[in-house]
Amino acid sequence: METITQGLTRKKFLKTVGLGLAALMYPTLGDSFPGITETGKDIRGEVFRNDAPAKLWKWSIEGSHYSSSGKDVQCNICPNRCYLRPGDRSVCRSRVNIKGKLYSLAYGNACAVHTDPIEKKPLFHFLPGTSIFSLAATGCNLRCLNCQNWGISQKKPEEVDHVELFPEEAVSQAIDGKIPSMAYTYAEPVTFYEYTRDTSRAARARGVMNVLVSNGYINETPLRELCRFLDAANINLKSFSDEIYRALNGGTLDPVLQTLKVIAAEGVWLEITTLVVPTYVDSTEMMKRMCRWIVKELGPDRPLHLLRFFPRYRLARLPATPVEVLEKLREEAMSEGINHVYIGNVPGHSSSHTYCPGCGKLLVERKGYRIGVFHIKDGLCGFCGRRIPGKWA
Amino acid sequence: MNVTGGKSRWIFFDFERLSLVFLGISSVTTQLLTLREFLSQFHGNEITFSLSIFSWLLLSGLGTLLAKSISRPSLSLLSLLLLVAALMPLAQIAGIRLLRDAAFLHGTSQGFYQILFFIIAASGPYCLVSGFILPIIQSVSRRMDNPLESAALYLFDSIGDIVGGILFSFILVYVLHPFKAIAVTSAPLVFLSLAGLRRSGSTVKLFLSYTLAASFFLVSLWPGLEKKTLSGQYGEILRYIESPYGRVIISEEADQKTIWEAGVPLYSDRDLAGSAEKVHYILSQLDKVEDVLLVSGGLGETLNEVAKYNPRSIDYVELDPSLTEAAKQYNLLSGWARARIINADGRLYLSGTEKRYDAIIFDLPEPDSFQVNRFYTEEAMALVKKAMRDKGVFAFALDYSQNYQSRAERRKFSTLFSTTAGHFRNVLVLPGERAYFLCSDADLFDDIPERLKEKGIASEYIEGYFYGNATPERVRSLNQFSEREPSLNSDFSPGLMKTVFEQWFSRHGSSPVVFFAILAALALSYLIFIKKGEYVLFSTGFSIMGTEMLVLFSFQAVYGYLYLQMGAIVTAFLFGLLPGAIIGRSRMGRLNPGKRLLQSDFLVLLLLCVFWLWMAGSKLSPEPWIFLAYSVLFSAVCGFQFPAAAFFLGEEKSPLAGCLAADLWGAALGALVTGAFLIPWMGMERSVIALIIVKISSIIIITRKGGSRHG
Repeated sequence: METITQGLTRKKFLKTVGLGLAALMYPTLGDSFPGITETGKDIRGEVFRNDAPAKLWKWSIEGSHYSSSGKDVQCNICPNRCYLRPGDRSVCRSRVNIKGKLYSLAYGNACAVHTDPIEKKPLFHFLPGTSIFSLAATGCNLRCLNCQNWGISQKKPEEVDHVELFPEEAVSQAIDGKIPSMAYTYAEPVTFYEYTRDTSRAARARGVMNVLVSNGYINETPLRELCRFLDAANINLKSFSDEIYRALNGGTLDPVLQTLKVIAAEGVWLEITTLVVPTYVDSTEMMKRMCRWIVKELGPDRPLHLLRFFPRYRLARLPATPVEVLEKLREEAMSEGINHVYIGNVPGHSSSHTYCPGCGKLLVERKGYRIGVFHIKDGLCGFCGRRIPGKWA
Repeated sequence: MNVTGGKSRWIFFDFERLSLVFLGISSVTTQLLTLREFLSQFHGNEITFSLSIFSWLLLSGLGTLLAKSISRPSLSLLSLLLLVAALMPLAQIAGIRLLRDAAFLHGTSQGFYQILFFIIAASGPYCLVSGFILPIIQSVSRRMDNPLESAALYLFDSIGDIVGGILFSFILVYVLHPFKAIAVTSAPLVFLSLAGLRRSGSTVKLFLSYTLAASFFLVSLWPGLEKKTLSGQYGEILRYIESPYGRVIISEEADQKTIWEAGVPLYSDRDLAGSAEKVHYILSQLDKVEDVLLVSGGLGETLNEVAKYNPRSIDYVELDPSLTEAAKQYNLLSGWARARIINADGRLYLSGTEKRYDAIIFDLPEPDSFQVNRFYTEEAMALVKKAMRDKGVFAFALDYSQNYQSRAERRKFSTLFSTTAGHFRNVLVLPGERAYFLCSDADLFDDIPERLKEKGIASEYIEGYFYGNATPERVRSLNQFSEREPSLNSDFSPGLMKTVFEQWFSRHGSSPVVFFAILAALALSYLIFIKKGEYVLFSTGFSIMGTEMLVLFSFQAVYGYLYLQMGAIVTAFLFGLLPGAIIGRSRMGRLNPGKRLLQSDFLVLLLLCVFWLWMAGSKLSPEPWIFLAYSVLFSAVCGFQFPAAAFFLGEEKSPLAGCLAADLWGAALGALVTGAFLIPWMGMERSVIALIIVKISSIIIITRKGGSRHG
């Protein structure tokens, strides 16, 4: 019996196969095997070592809010505080260390540009019935398993197609379309911070209002700088549990709470969104704690949007949130003192309308994204004259 | 399991032979149940299926090799192992269900590596034990007065496999839930092992064994076990159906009922958006709506929305009768009384019906398996066109990202645009919760609220949301990229599936490239190492499992349901091996084995060519029995090859384990490479060509100088 490779016994071969199989598993234990980390209930992202492009491209800009230590840099935009050696890429995939400087690769390269109804953000107390010019570049500093924009939020800038749209041109397009406001949205604007900031600044200078739609995972200093140009924000408070934040979103709770406080303190109109994910974010007790915190720290007039979950992305094996659960959570939220609690993603539901907390009358009727009856005048209830918080015109 | 040897005696009633038959019955049922369980746990597509088969073969093979370490096994040890093998299936199926949430975050879908690891971990122990037992049986029999030669071992094992396959596929699957099926098919093995222990074991061991066996039957026959092991994933289960077509579950949380199919929520109460969009986008296009055909997706308010147009008839085709029955029972099928519910495969219905429709709606999941892809192919479009009136409209929907269309997504849409545009003059894609493809020879309209207004039909959802979702620039954007690439999607060259698989990998942040590269390196080093004759066995194992995958998936492409026929086709492949092996080890097989081997290799080649010709050139849809007959014939030829190859090699020079390893690892690789790589990435036609090349290489090896009896 001839063998092509003499001297290699079958036993040795099997050993080799075993080692090979073990080696085969090795590459899967990193980013591509979140199951390992999921069992540890933490899916936070990691810095991409030696993943930066060899050279910068047209849509790069030196980042702000970073510190240096020799050739290493630390990004201080968000709580991830990525420590990047030369050639590394941040958790959000958009920021890199090239030769000891931090650069954003997402500046002027918008991958999603649309004109949406402002109610779609959702913002219910800010210029209702108007359109909003919405743009996004790639990247996100979280890893939400239910992300509906994962095709841009979980990608590197080089991996997606984009249009060139530098700040001035973006504002010009909004003005040409007679659109009163701009939203930084879809992916996570914190990751394309400089693009958001500069476009907001340009928009403010030309009389266009700015809306931040964000996960709120940002540090205080850059946030305060950004707030100078913001008119409104919708912050996604994904749950009121650090454990769930780590397991479902790859983040932590405290920085988001801090963001809410800062935005409120800076006088930016603030609405809060919570996606009610079955078996994770549908606890009455957690909702009570969350609403107590909101009322205490932010006051009772911050609208809260409770959205119905539908299976998306990698949370595909959960059912939609029962409407009864949403209604119950809304009741709890209102009993804790929040004046305006909306139910979203349930077309035709009466809780998508605005009611006066004083007289209980219907003030703003919403038919999908369209506005029906409207009984607010000069920010006051058309029936009892109570001030209804928001920017109504 | 392929084993060869010299003469055999046909004695059915000694312990060892009965062990083989009963083990075969139990293990085949366990394999089929495990496959179905994995398909339910991981929203099974071809990749999950292939990984399951690959792991099963690989680990069973390892179990067989491990048995070499036991030099003189006793009857007591064998009996104990048989008992373990009989009881393990219960723990395995329960473990798969219960451990999913322990291994992964509740409610998440999983990617390639997660599925692979889970499959290996969950099915590994049983595979190792069942593979381990076969050589032990042989060793024990050699110490008795009635030694089992290896060919006889193979024959009896095959008999068990075939009986188990037939029992499960034609009887148990229709009448019993998984745990009860396990109780039935494991029972002979349990009783046999207890008998063996009575002959050889100590009293304590016997007592423990009786206790274990009694517990096994109590637990597996407990009526609440199915729901108990599933409730962690589904919550409160109102109804659980293990239909021949898949697992259907209705769960309840608060006031909401959810209907699940294959582990994925199919519909939850009050999904108005989906019902409104899929009905009004299409029906509003028509001046007059008389006959409407809905293929799947009739749950919820859909039929009521259709009824707003006062059609003369609504035909709702749904494959699985248990799905529609359960939906009716729990009021998840509003307005069903106004529709004619037809429980049939949508494509087969279309090909057979003489009726003509004004509107045909496909409401199906993403085309990530052949079962679904076949509704998005050229062949399907031709059937739709045939069943549609001149100015009728056809619609289907795909998942998409509302804010950004990735390159893969654009390619997916382009493929579909090209495929539909070959049959319809106008194709319009409208955005909504999903992207709706509208196809017609008549003009199409993109202002749906305006059309509804003209018709006096009310839809609060469309009125409120349409203009916000389907803005002119979003509509323009969707329809711009649909006019590019001219690639087409067909039943056997499913270009669409390749793109969908790419998206699947992208969604889970993983790539199979590393896995396949390392596997290729390992396979290459193995191929360099093995004896030339063993390569023939390797290629035979590769071809037979590759062909089994192709037969399974081509059957799925033609008939649309694999879950039901999976057992029958697997059994057909097992069935063919038996007569093939009998002939192979008979005198006929021994006569000039090299020549016989070559002839059989040519026969395999011929059968593969027939398969390719059917796929490439024929528009025929063979009857199901033809698939089964082909499977039997193909496996018979391959079954013949094993003993013939062993004679050719010379058993004294080619140890049994070496032959087994070549055959099994060829089979494992054949299943994996064909199912998870060749078919999804190259399509079925090219996959057959790849198998043909493998077989040609085998022929070259045989005919090469030095390729004689001693390799």
